[in-house]
Amino acid sequence: MNVEAPDQRLSEKPRAEKPAEPAEAEGTRRKRKREGAAWVFLSPWLLGAAVLTLTPMLVSLYLSFTEYDLFTAPEWVGLDNYVHMFTEDPRYWRSAVNTLVYVLVAVPLQLAAALAAALALNSIGRGKGFYRSAFYAPSLLGASMSIALVWRALFNDGGTVDDLLSSFGVNMGGWVNQPGWALLVVALLTIWQFGAPMVIFLAGLQQIPGELYEAAEVDGAGRLRRFRSVTLPMLSPVLFFNLVLQTIQAFQVFTPAFTVSGGRGGPADSTLFYTLYLYDRGFTASHMGYASAMAWVLLVVIGIVTALLFRSSRSWVFYNDKG
Amino acid sequence: MPDKSPKQRTLPRTGIKASALTFAVLTLCGLLAGCGAGTNGSAGGEVELQFSWWGNADRAAATNEAVDLFEQRHPNIEVQTSFSSYNSYIQKLATQAAGGNAPDVMQLDYRQISQYASSGLLLPLGDRPEVGTGKVGSGMLRTGQVRGTQYAIPMGRTSQVLVYDSAEWQRVGVSEPRLDWTWRDWSAAMRELNENTGQAGSTDPGWSEDWFEVWLRGRGKSLYTDSGELGFDKSDLAKFWSFTNGLSQRGAVSPARQTTQIDGSAANMPFGRGNAASGITWDSAVGGFQALIGDSLRLAPLPSGPDGTPGQYFKPSMLVGVSANSAHPEEASQLVDFLINDPEAGDVLGVSRGMPVNQDIREDITPSLSGLDERIADFQQRLEGKLLDPPSAPPSGDLALQTTFQRDYDHVGFELRTPRRMAEQFLTSVRSELQQ
Repeated sequence: MNVEAPDQRLSEKPRAEKPAEPAEAEGTRRKRKREGAAWVFLSPWLLGAAVLTLTPMLVSLYLSFTEYDLFTAPEWVGLDNYVHMFTEDPRYWRSAVNTLVYVLVAVPLQLAAALAAALALNSIGRGKGFYRSAFYAPSLLGASMSIALVWRALFNDGGTVDDLLSSFGVNMGGWVNQPGWALLVVALLTIWQFGAPMVIFLAGLQQIPGELYEAAEVDGAGRLRRFRSVTLPMLSPVLFFNLVLQTIQAFQVFTPAFTVSGGRGGPADSTLFYTLYLYDRGFTASHMGYASAMAWVLLVVIGIVTALLFRSSRSWVFYNDKG
Repeated sequence: MPDKSPKQRTLPRTGIKASALTFAVLTLCGLLAGCGAGTNGSAGGEVELQFSWWGNADRAAATNEAVDLFEQRHPNIEVQTSFSSYNSYIQKLATQAAGGNAPDVMQLDYRQISQYASSGLLLPLGDRPEVGTGKVGSGMLRTGQVRGTQYAIPMGRTSQVLVYDSAEWQRVGVSEPRLDWTWRDWSAAMRELNENTGQAGSTDPGWSEDWFEVWLRGRGKSLYTDSGELGFDKSDLAKFWSFTNGLSQRGAVSPARQTTQIDGSAANMPFGRGNAASGITWDSAVGGFQALIGDSLRLAPLPSGPDGTPGQYFKPSMLVGVSANSAHPEEASQLVDFLINDPEAGDVLGVSRGMPVNQDIREDITPSLSGLDERIADFQQRLEGKLLDPPSAPPSGDLALQTTFQRDYDHVGFELRTPRRMAEQFLTSVRSELQQ
């Protein structure tokens, strides 16, 4: 695993900073001293990572090859969990497909919404602070269960949205309780919480030098052309960062689906996301071994998707430091 | 314009890549770590007992009062109590038990017994002289047995019930349910209610294994046999689901988009929301409807089978057991006996855990009941002696099958799959659960 990547970087930094120290011995001693201090400061994190993260991860890897019901000792079953998952469990595939659909719908729309809001906020002068907070607020609220409950009530049979549409003659009879709509309602909740990527976009937009726009304007580029030829390429590293982050998060979506569907991933498994089914297998059905195996498959899949994103970034992400 | 080097203008490539990677690794680690096992140690004092249960504040007040009484009788014993809501209790207890820290005395659900007993977590109570069971009906007592050994004692009893608003039924001219009505009578009444009120007659019973069990028992079958094998086949379930879904499609019982939201709470039942003229539940959960419907709320038994065989039964609303790891099995057993058999404790506890299982205590407290409690007591009184013995505790996989049942029926209700196809799928899940 790459858990140690960040500290290696930290410990290497001082080395790279002093290329030509006249007194070699003096430099090594100081370097060692600084490295030592770095390790001391890192130790709480390292300890936590080793005890609270790395160990449970390894245990979970072991458990994924066992049948473990929490009460009796884990029983080694080899690859049974993985075989069952891929060949005998229709609900597993359903949860995988649901999650994929969700990722493909929610992530692009959320990023588009975030970018649109960031562009709008970047161009206004007065009341900047107010609007920024207003757009960011849903992200803060969304972390809690309560907003998902409100969402459920809004889109339920006889809920506010339903009543409102009924008064226009559109009688849906609720959204969260119908298999064709529930997934979209959950996705909508995520899209609405575009605050975090928006702030990052905003920071990225403010890094783009004004002279590029001026030059483009002199060359006769219109608004759209300036956006396409200046903003997008200059923003592409930030876009890439947001894309990777949001994709990984979307794969692991749990709370909104759990709350909106009342914990079952219904109606008719339409919001049974991967993590929801994982939780169900582990904590309701007491198949911790199976749940662990599911978690590892998810890890590998997210790893592959992330790797593909990184690979694709070569062709569309523009780094100005290439020189 | 100040001259900036290009490097400062955009985020450096390595920084972004590293942050994205770090973030990816960290979030994934959290996901995987969630599936590890957890343990924490605790040591017992002198004679200090831990007693935990699930329930609400009313039950907690009554239980704590009873525990105080027990401590007065036994000055050498101190009882530490704790309680939480049902769902968190079940998960918390499982975690405690997995770590070998189950409380000395614990309240248990019917569906937990098999798993806890067969994992060696419960003390056999049959050979504890402290625990008297003479006043508990034998059928009821059997619900705490696993393969012939008494691992837990029922604390209260409940039964399946059809709750309805008698004022509403009278208003639309539908005759109220009789004690011996059959599923045929029931479906006729549902259609009549639907025709006269324009809304569903009742909750669609197809969503829950509990109501399927009643239907099965009325036909002389069962969910599980005494040895924990499956007691029905694919065609039974397909038939039940065709029956209930047929009624749902014609509006006689609730439509799928309402049935899918049922979670046990009165507020999410079509009856509780005013979308149906009756509801099907446990008599221990009727209180929630009283608040929504009012005093015209009445209780009727669930329908019987074609030949009049009653499907419903007295079920333990909850049981009490002693941890096999308890350092004080004698004192823990004394507490169990006190909660079940002591007349004074019976007075204090009342019906906070359903109707008491101890016959003497039940007769003792019945006259003092009023309002809804009185109606529930009366309902059980009318069924006394008419019902068949309850089934043995369901096998351990059943806890998982409950949600599977509801999920599978969703596919029938929304007409995504046929009843036969889903019945087949449910039986596949059953086989894989029971195997383990």
